[in-house]
Formats: sequence, C-alpha cells, structure tokens
Amino acid sequence: MDITRLLIANRGEIALRIIKACRELGIETVAVYSDADATARHTRAADIAVRIGPAPAAESYLDIAAVIDAARGSGADAVHPGYGFLSERAAFASACVDAGLVFVGPPAAAIEQMGSKIGARQLMERSGVPVVPGRTPSDQSDEGVAACAADVGFPILVKASAGGGGKGMRAALDPAALAEAIPAARREAQAAFGDGTLYVERLIERPRHVEVQIFADDHGAAVHLFERECSVQRRHQKVIEESPSPALTPLIRSRMGAAAVDAARAAGYRNAGTIEFLLEGEGDAATFYFLEMNTRLQVEHPVTELVTGTDLVHAQLAVASGRPLPWRQEDLTQRGHAIECRVYAEDPNGGFLPQAGTLRLYREPSGPGIRVDSGVEEGTAVPVHYDPMLAKLIAYGEDRGRAIDRAIEALGAFPILGVRTNVPFLIGVLRHRAFRAGDLHTGFVDAHLAELLALAPPSEAATAAAAFMRSAPAPASSSATAVTARDPWSDLIGWGR
Amino acid sequence: MGPMMQVTRGAAAGELIVRDGDRVVQVFAVNDGRTVWVFERGTVHELPADMDAGRRRGAAATGALTAPMPATVMAVKVAPGDAVKRGDVLLLLEAMKMELPVRAPGDGRVTAVHCRPGDLVQPDTSLIELE
Repeated sequence: MDITRLLIANRGEIALRIIKACRELGIETVAVYSDADATARHTRAADIAVRIGPAPAAESYLDIAAVIDAARGSGADAVHPGYGFLSERAAFASACVDAGLVFVGPPAAAIEQMGSKIGARQLMERSGVPVVPGRTPSDQSDEGVAACAADVGFPILVKASAGGGGKGMRAALDPAALAEAIPAARREAQAAFGDGTLYVERLIERPRHVEVQIFADDHGAAVHLFERECSVQRRHQKVIEESPSPALTPLIRSRMGAAAVDAARAAGYRNAGTIEFLLEGEGDAATFYFLEMNTRLQVEHPVTELVTGTDLVHAQLAVASGRPLPWRQEDLTQRGHAIECRVYAEDPNGGFLPQAGTLRLYREPSGPGIRVDSGVEEGTAVPVHYDPMLAKLIAYGEDRGRAIDRAIEALGAFPILGVRTNVPFLIGVLRHRAFRAGDLHTGFVDAHLAELLALAPPSEAATAAAAFMRSAPAPASSSATAVTARDPWSDLIGWGR
Repeated sequence: MGPMMQVTRGAAAGELIVRDGDRVVQVFAVNDGRTVWVFERGTVHELPADMDAGRRRGAAATGALTAPMPATVMAVKVAPGDAVKRGDVLLLLEAMKMELPVRAPGDGRVTAVHCRPGDLVQPDTSLIELE
C-alpha cells in the first residue's frame, strides 16, 4: 500500500529529517506537538500539525491514544515513530496496525521479543550469534557461584540476575577476588531488587561498542549496511559515532555483518534495525558479542547514509509500503569515512548536566562534506522536558583523518551562545591523540576526561570582543564602531573566580 | 599600554571582527545582560556583562590576588604595609604580548608581596595579599 500522508510521532531533528524525506517523495506530513513545541521547527515544517498535549512527554509524545487520535483525525495512513519516545513500544506498533495505519518499523512481535534482554539473548544463542558467556548458577551458595565463575572464565562480573543499571554488580579479576565480590553483589541485589539471585558473566575489558545497521523487507530479503563505532560515550550515551570502525578488519567486518543478518532473520525482522555488539581484542583475533537490538532508526544513521550513499528513511518508507529493499547485499559498499558529533545543550565541566535556556545566537556551519541535522534555530528556548540534543554535525571525508579534520573545522564554525553546549568538548575529543589513533573503548571519555575538559583563558580577541559588547550600542545600530581593548586584566578579575 | 586592537561589527548579527594589525579574528558574541558570551573558533568564553559587579565581587573577597594565566612580572608597584585604594595599580604583568595592570579590587593594605620583577608566575599563584 502506498503511503500518501505520514504522521511523525516525534519532535526535533528526527521529525524534520523525516519530513524532508517525505517532501522528496511527495508524501504529505503530519506533525504532532506538545504545548512546549507549538512554534517549534518541526511543527511549522509539516503540512498538518496536531496538538497532542501539554509539555511533559508522558502526557504528549508518549501518549499512545493521543497520537493515534491525531493520526485518525488528520487522515494519515502511516506513522513513523522516529527514535526514542514510542519507537520501541510494541503496544504502539500494535495500536497503529489496529487503527489501520501502516507502522514504519518492525512488527510488534519483533519489538516485543528484542525488548526483553533475556529473550533476545536466548534467541541469539539459539541462532548461533555470539553472546557474552555467562549463566545463572543453579547452586547459589558462595561455593556454587565461585565454581560457575571459574567455569565461565576470568575476569568476571557477578551481578544481580534480576537487575540492571549497574546495581548489584561486582567485577572480579581472579578467583581470590570472588570471596568479597559474591557476598557484596548478593547484598546489593537483595537490597535493590528484593532478589539476591546472582548471574555470572565474562567481563569484557576495554570493549568497543560497534553496531551493525540491518534492513529487511517483506519479501525475504535481509541485508546489512556495515558498522558504526560508537565507543565515545558519556553517561552511557553516545556522543561521537563513525563508520567505518577504525578497529574492524575485513574478516571481522564480514563476520559481524553476517551475524547481524542472522540475528535479524531469527527475530523475524522487517525494516531498519541495529544490532549492537561489544568488540574485544584487536585485529583478526578480535571477538564480538551480541549486546542488544534497537528496533528502530538510530540517531547515528547519517554516518551509514554517507558512507553507503543511501537514504535510510526513503528505504524505510519503501519497505513499509510493501516494496522490496532498494539494494541487494552485493550493491552495498562502504566508501570514505563519516563521523557524527552530537551537539548537546549540556555542561561538560558540570558533569554533563543538561542545560536549558534560549539560543541567543545559533549559526550552523556548511561546506564540503558537512551535513547538519538539527531541530532548533536562533531564538529557540531549549525546553527542560526533552532530550537536550540540539543538532548532529556529520562530517564526511575520503578517509578517517580527513573526516576528523572536517569535523573539527566545522565545529569551530558552529557558534551557539546563550546556553552551554558540548561543542568545545567535542573538539577536544576529536583533537585527542588517542581518538586520532583510533584507540577507543567505551571508557574513553572517563579515561581522558581531565584532558578533554581543559579550560582556556580568554584570548586577546575574546577579551577585546567582550569589552566591545559591554560598551557598544544595541546591535540594531550596525555602524562599524572601533574601540580599543583597554586594560584586559580588569576583565579577568571577574572571570570565573 | 598594550597594543591597539580594533573591534568592528561583521555583516551577520552577533559577528565581530577583531583586528590586531593585519591579523583578523572572527568571533561571535552576545550580551544577555548577565554574561557576555564569546565564541572564537570552537572555544566559548563566558565573561561578566557588568565589570563593576566583577570588581565588587573582587572587593568582597579579601586575601590573595592570583594570576589567571601564565605571565611574567614586569613591575611591582607596592610594598608590604602600603595602603591602597580600589583601582590602584599593584603590579604590571605581561602575558600574550600584552601589558596587564593588576589593580586593587578594593581599598585595603598590602600584607605580603610574593613576586619580583622578572618572575614567571603560574595561574592561581598568590601574587599579593591584601587585608
């Protein structure tokens, strides 16, 4: 069935990204918005805009009934969930189908199955996709857990079987360390989850986060579009993603791609999805383990689009309409290198805490190999209710070094003022020698934090500009005025002290 | 006197062109009434919008005057025991090719001087103590 009018159940940059794709394809668009987004870019860009509730996400973008009502009321025939919000709620996919709407994503059953960590892991094991070795010891005594740990192999993590979020988790590098780790993990598990049952799992040291983009259609075709490396993370959230991964050899890449396609087939998957892996070790000796599957379009999908020359949203809409995938596996190649930097309203020097406020100045860079996907503009009041990501800057180059250089140059021409952002931090990461060398692991940011946060005192030019701004008439008067930067020391007395 | 730097508005709102001789630096700046935000090639500086407020804060904080960046001491204008008034020049530093007068943040008396002409001083080093 051809899609003629698509409702986008999302906001910000991804809503705009999908609206653009629809315009290219001649599909009408329906935006939904909360009261906080009544004049937001995505609300203005669509053909139809429907209010779905007040600012809090739970009462608007996460309200399944409100979104379905908006789709019915606006005459939409399909729904794209974007990422986040309702995108991985099986109940939402079902509600769309029940309402006679095409859901641009996988079947609800696949979302359900892959949404359960244990269910997903068991499915992967059955399908021969490698998972991190681990098990729940049948004998839960200290001796029983220790014996099971020895069987799985060191170093090892002892963690709450019921848990997540790092609670009730202890690392043991050798058998001697277990004497303390097992009782401690059990106490924490009991306290946090009311269940002291322990699970033992091989500890992957300095793992890289490498994921594979997959795509499947209704006609039995499933392909992968290579990998993205997303090891640079802060607060367990990705900050910089790239393709290709600097770590993968052709052998590991082809194995990982095949494993991802196997995983997609095992899950009965349709449309775009991502299989996340942990990668351990180097070169052809590296091993990878299934981490989880994301049953939606990813934030970082542009890096895949740039190196494969594809448009993943176009392909999502085609597959959702029942058409076959636009490419066969042998059509797909990786060419050049792409790096995405997520620009957040946050304070890297203050624990990366999100910042709210008005973007008093916001100018996006452009140039060869530069793409900016954003949902904000100058004057936007960054709301406290949603994710603080402002934009994604994606740089493409013939090789990794050139892509990094372009990203640094573009971030240096991306002024955002009025709200603290991570732009200086991103430049710090891109300039860091270990990043340049491709020496990445998921603890990269924590390991190098002090160097990445280095604060520079104001330069002569910045000091002179600040003096000008204090003494200058309102910007409306654009007559060029020259002043002398006098006594910059006086500026410095008040500076951050 | 430091070198003369010229600041002019650029074509875009918030764009400033800073000229130091033939050298040109493009920056972006806004003054939100509390903070002057300056963006220079990927670095963002937040400077106080009201310098008097900065000085008042300085006056409230008695104790050591420190160097906020590496600098060379060019001259020491006061000695222990001297009474000083707010705004008096206590030291002359040189950094980034500029002469930087260190002024008294408030009225008081010099209790100690920890530097001599020619010293290279580091950030956060106590240079002079006032009471």
